[in-house]
Amino acid sequence: MVAGGMIAAAVVALHFIVTREPRTVPLPTARFAPARPVRARARKIRLQDLLLLLLRVLLILAVGAALAEPVLDPPHRDLARIVVVDRSRAIADAAEVADSARALLGDGDALVLFDSTVVVARDGGRDSLAALVRSPNRGQLSPALIAALRTASDMREMADSFELAIISPLVAEQADLATDSIRALWPGAVRLVPVAASAANAAPAVVAIDAAADDPLRLSLSGLRSNSDTAASTVLIVRGALDAADSAWATGGPRALVHWPATHATAAGAPGLSAPWAARADRDTVGAVSAGSAVVVAPFERWAAYGSADASDTPARVVARWADGEPAAVETALGAGCVRTVAVGVPSVGDLVLHPRFARLAAALTEPCGGRTNAVVMDSVRLAALSGPTSGGYAPSSAFAPPETVRSPLVPWLLAAALLFGIAALLLQRRVSDAAVSVRGVESA
Amino acid sequence: MQDLASGILLDAVRGMHWPARRVTRGAYQGGHRSRRVGSSPEFMQYREYRQGDEPSKIDWKLVARTGRVAVRQTHDDSNFRTSILLDASASMAFPPTTLDKWNLAAAVAFGLCAVAQGDRDPVGIAVASGGELQILPPRARMSTAANVLGLLSNTTPSGSRPLAPVLAMLRTSNRIAIVSDFLGDADALLEMAKEMVASGREVFAVHVVSRAELAPRDIGSLVVDPEEDTIRRPLDDSGVAEYQAAFTRWREELAAAWRAAGAVYHLAIDDDPADRVIRQVVTPTATSAVSPAAS
Repeated sequence: MVAGGMIAAAVVALHFIVTREPRTVPLPTARFAPARPVRARARKIRLQDLLLLLLRVLLILAVGAALAEPVLDPPHRDLARIVVVDRSRAIADAAEVADSARALLGDGDALVLFDSTVVVARDGGRDSLAALVRSPNRGQLSPALIAALRTASDMREMADSFELAIISPLVAEQADLATDSIRALWPGAVRLVPVAASAANAAPAVVAIDAAADDPLRLSLSGLRSNSDTAASTVLIVRGALDAADSAWATGGPRALVHWPATHATAAGAPGLSAPWAARADRDTVGAVSAGSAVVVAPFERWAAYGSADASDTPARVVARWADGEPAAVETALGAGCVRTVAVGVPSVGDLVLHPRFARLAAALTEPCGGRTNAVVMDSVRLAALSGPTSGGYAPSSAFAPPETVRSPLVPWLLAAALLFGIAALLLQRRVSDAAVSVRGVESA
Repeated sequence: MQDLASGILLDAVRGMHWPARRVTRGAYQGGHRSRRVGSSPEFMQYREYRQGDEPSKIDWKLVARTGRVAVRQTHDDSNFRTSILLDASASMAFPPTTLDKWNLAAAVAFGLCAVAQGDRDPVGIAVASGGELQILPPRARMSTAANVLGLLSNTTPSGSRPLAPVLAMLRTSNRIAIVSDFLGDADALLEMAKEMVASGREVFAVHVVSRAELAPRDIGSLVVDPEEDTIRRPLDDSGVAEYQAAFTRWREELAAAWRAAGAVYHLAIDDDPADRVIRQVVTPTATSAVSPAAS
């Protein structure tokens, strides 16, 4: 900024100081010209010249200011609040969570929404709360805490102190090994606002299977029931095409209908796979598949591809993924239950299906709808560690490192202004030049 | 230089002669009348026969008419060593965009060499620029014109060099033509030329002037001497008249001084055709007055 001001001052000084020396031309007989003192002819300063000078100075100042990236001091407060709101499958009622958040969220506060991902809303947090819905994904506190720390760093010039509030059922599945370490980075107490947790879904699935007697998948799952005994089952595996009875069974209760085609040798691909699933144009072999904590490394043939879902499609949850990240199994809601489509082939040759790792994969793919949830609230020790010392109070803003880059919202406006000044200067200069030419033409005429 | 190589100038000067203005003492047979008595057909005088004269020189008709025995004496022909001194200082590179002044000077020098060579005279050239002095000694061989052309083609006028010492180096020539704008050491050059004329040599002064020097176009500018950058003077409307008056007076004084020294002075403007300038220089009746175009 200082450099821009100095350059502008130099331009102004040059404009008034510099006089134009007459044009120098060689002439061998110059000695015969009368010896007179050399006088510079100064031009009379006109209004257009001053306007041109003003535009050029403004141009330089605007460019200098844009390069300096000025930041306006935000309104300063004693306390700013960062509200971390849980929207994962662990919450029972999204409206209750939103009401709790509204009670805490004030103007200028930041909202952090989390499930397996994190969304930060510095402005318009109330709009985000109005649209809050429960996610089918597991919540993870660690990314939410990291986002809160970064938000506090970005807002450190806005307040003297920060309060971190977490609105969540605070169930055990939301914490991981890194949670305590990340929590320790927050230099103050954390205000915990517990809300109702969703019902636990930790009961083991009762699985029935509709498959041939020699289906290799039977070897991977224990305690399988026959398809005629589905009344007391919570999961039904269908290895052929789905029919209306299957769908009705899934719709009638919290039951999971697992469509796991046993064959995919038909020209149209696997039987019963509906959009957005489609047969792959070029079948390939992928090296591994994972579902939850179960990972199987084997040369699986990949014969179906999950296409991009339309907006009208039912929201789906990816249950298993191939090694390259492509979905291998997807679950969609169906009435009170769900339909889970599995595009992972079960090898009929070899002993892979007998391995415990494949059994874990099969178990993960035959869990109840939404997966097995652990809605048990964190124990008191973990909650105390998460809350921190009660006498710690608010976190001082000085405890947060300044952000590495500060984006100035003024930069594009300053550059636009510089562009306008430049265009105006060019137009004015052309106008002055045209006027000078016309005057010269009149004089010569 | 492109025009010189095209041969147009050589065609224009073909047939021209550059006769000596007085009889010479040349040692070799050439195209000029010598002071020696020789064997040319042109009669000079009768002399009484002396012992030892060739009998074939006796004019027997005269003996029959008068009874006196006399031998017939005729003129002898001689050659005429000619040198051209060409000024290639920075002041000759004018106007800077067209170099008309230098082009005319080079064309005149080349044309004079060609005319002298046509008269079977040994001819050479000395090109004096600020960088180096290039001299081709007088030669009568046929390749002389081509050598002169090559020398001129490789010369760019620049710098400044006194011409009087160079003129002194050309003492061995019977005839010397100086092609210059005489804006350098004009006084010293004139003194040296006087010595040359006094020793029986013929000196020609071809004064090359640019039209832009006679009537400067850059009015309102600061004019600078290309050879002496300390001379920087404004040239406005009121100063042009004074400039032209001073320049004309200097040219007239220069012409008068060279003529008084016994040299042939000729003024050439850079828009004059080179062949016309050459014709006026080599013609014995050439006027030495200031060109009407210059006044």
